[in-house]
Amino acid sequence: MALLPREEWYDLTRATNWTPKYVTREELFPEQMSGGRGLSPEIWETYDEPYKVTYPEYVETQREKDAGAYSVKAALERANFVDTADGGWVSILKAHYGAIAVAEYAAASAEARMCRFAPAPGNRNMATFGMLDEIRHGQIQLYFPHEHTKRDRQWDWAHKAYHTNEWGALAARHFFDDMMLTRDAVSVSLMLTFAFETGFTNMQFLGLAADAAEAGDHTFASLISSIQTDESRHAQQGGPSLKIMIANGMKDEAQQLIDIAFWRSWKLFSVLTGPMMDYYTPLEHRSQSFKEFMEEWIIGQFERQITDLGLDTPWYWDEFINDLDETHHGMHMGVWFWRPTVWWNPRAGMSPEERDWLEEKYPGWNSTYGKMWDVVIDNLQNGRPEQTGPATLPMICNMSNIPIIGKPGDGWATDQGPKDFALEHEGRLYHFGSEADRWCFQIDPETYKNHLNFIDRFLAGMIQPMDLGGGLQYMGLAPGEIGDDANNYEWVGTFAKAAE
Amino acid sequence: MALFPLSSNFQGDFVFQLLPVDTENTMDEVAAAAAVHSVGKRVAPQPDKVMRVRRHSNGEMFPRDMLVQDAGLMPTESIDIIFE
Repeated sequence: MALLPREEWYDLTRATNWTPKYVTREELFPEQMSGGRGLSPEIWETYDEPYKVTYPEYVETQREKDAGAYSVKAALERANFVDTADGGWVSILKAHYGAIAVAEYAAASAEARMCRFAPAPGNRNMATFGMLDEIRHGQIQLYFPHEHTKRDRQWDWAHKAYHTNEWGALAARHFFDDMMLTRDAVSVSLMLTFAFETGFTNMQFLGLAADAAEAGDHTFASLISSIQTDESRHAQQGGPSLKIMIANGMKDEAQQLIDIAFWRSWKLFSVLTGPMMDYYTPLEHRSQSFKEFMEEWIIGQFERQITDLGLDTPWYWDEFINDLDETHHGMHMGVWFWRPTVWWNPRAGMSPEERDWLEEKYPGWNSTYGKMWDVVIDNLQNGRPEQTGPATLPMICNMSNIPIIGKPGDGWATDQGPKDFALEHEGRLYHFGSEADRWCFQIDPETYKNHLNFIDRFLAGMIQPMDLGGGLQYMGLAPGEIGDDANNYEWVGTFAKAAE
Repeated sequence: MALFPLSSNFQGDFVFQLLPVDTENTMDEVAAAAAVHSVGKRVAPQPDKVMRVRRHSNGEMFPRDMLVQDAGLMPTESIDIIFE
């Protein structure tokens, strides 16, 4: 049977809407789930996704992608790359899988919401493929690390992380729930696909793919490149929604949704991707600094996209650009110092050569973040390892759920130190790591006000006993899972050699 | 006499930290308790200087002998500890 060429039927079928007879349109597309915002079906039918694909084309392409990634894995499995790789690279893999794999299933739910409830038929069509994409991403990123569970228990966190109260998992769940699972379909298209996927999954997947190839981890490189090609397609669902909202007088609302999602994405990736690129990846395999990658992919590309579509850069843009020099350095120190509380082994990335690289990429690093590492190194060199671990908890932001940090060292006293953007709301004192985090809360306090971050839970007596052991137990971190230095502190010796 | 949680922002350090103190602690005792989590861990000691406590939100410096219960602080409110 001859098939019609795609161009002869695609535009008709992708925009097909039907007129419901047994229920009203409002019942079929309830506002809370759909988010049609009172615009007519005819307006939503003008939704025109820039990337068009049919189901047969989709299946054929996806099969090829899977075959490629799985065959690379099978071919290299016996090479046992992770047994010879730097501990920092192994930690990147563990952190990535735990933070991303199960979240892909939540993303499948978000796509399913658009697939069923999006007011634009073109969006529903694209989201069908997006939903299948995210299921594939969940499956493949659980399957790939599974072969390593025989190596140690931390690998099991690829599946376990999101089912625990580990602090990073709490932060990620709070963010992804907000953006993917608690908003109407149109909001999801803006927040998940436009702000998060256009902006940030590019960084995690393209940036790390480049580093993976440099590091010789061809299995991981092919896996995440395979995922990124899906992301770059289904990330395009938000743009047409945005055009419709702007054309119908809803620019301010669209801007706000994107500004929330962008900021929240940034905070999460500052603790996840920043340390991976600038500290965990061995120096000789770093393709770009985190800041350089952010400048190219976020400031260069995302900023151009939002302004081309008629939006403004977010109101906090100057603070965001300033944070590119600071935030992830603090997050890295925090994760390393509180290393028992994560499911991977943080790599210090602190050899003299690496510190030179950090100073070159981030002028002033030595007089700020480097000063803290000087104290850590002195303790390790002089037999005081107990001074390099925590005896209390960091304060946690009530929006990002990650520590409240700022610039240390010289300059602290001249108004560059950490700032707590506190807010008293209905008798409760909330703490935020930035003006933008507090702004997100103030837009919709009803949504956020009852959430308890890790500190709130600790003070409420939900974590017993109230010490590090009780905290680790609450987070689900058992012996063999808790983190320690990725290179077994061997890097400390390089300073003694450098001094000789 | 009761346990009272504060949030400590120590000069030279990078992060606010949970600081459990007692309502009858003086500000000098609060500063000393905060130092345990920063000085010698990520901040180099400055033994020739006095550590002072101030309210983070407005910079109000507390007298060294003021008790926590007299400072008008909210539970978990942030304080700065600075070298003077």
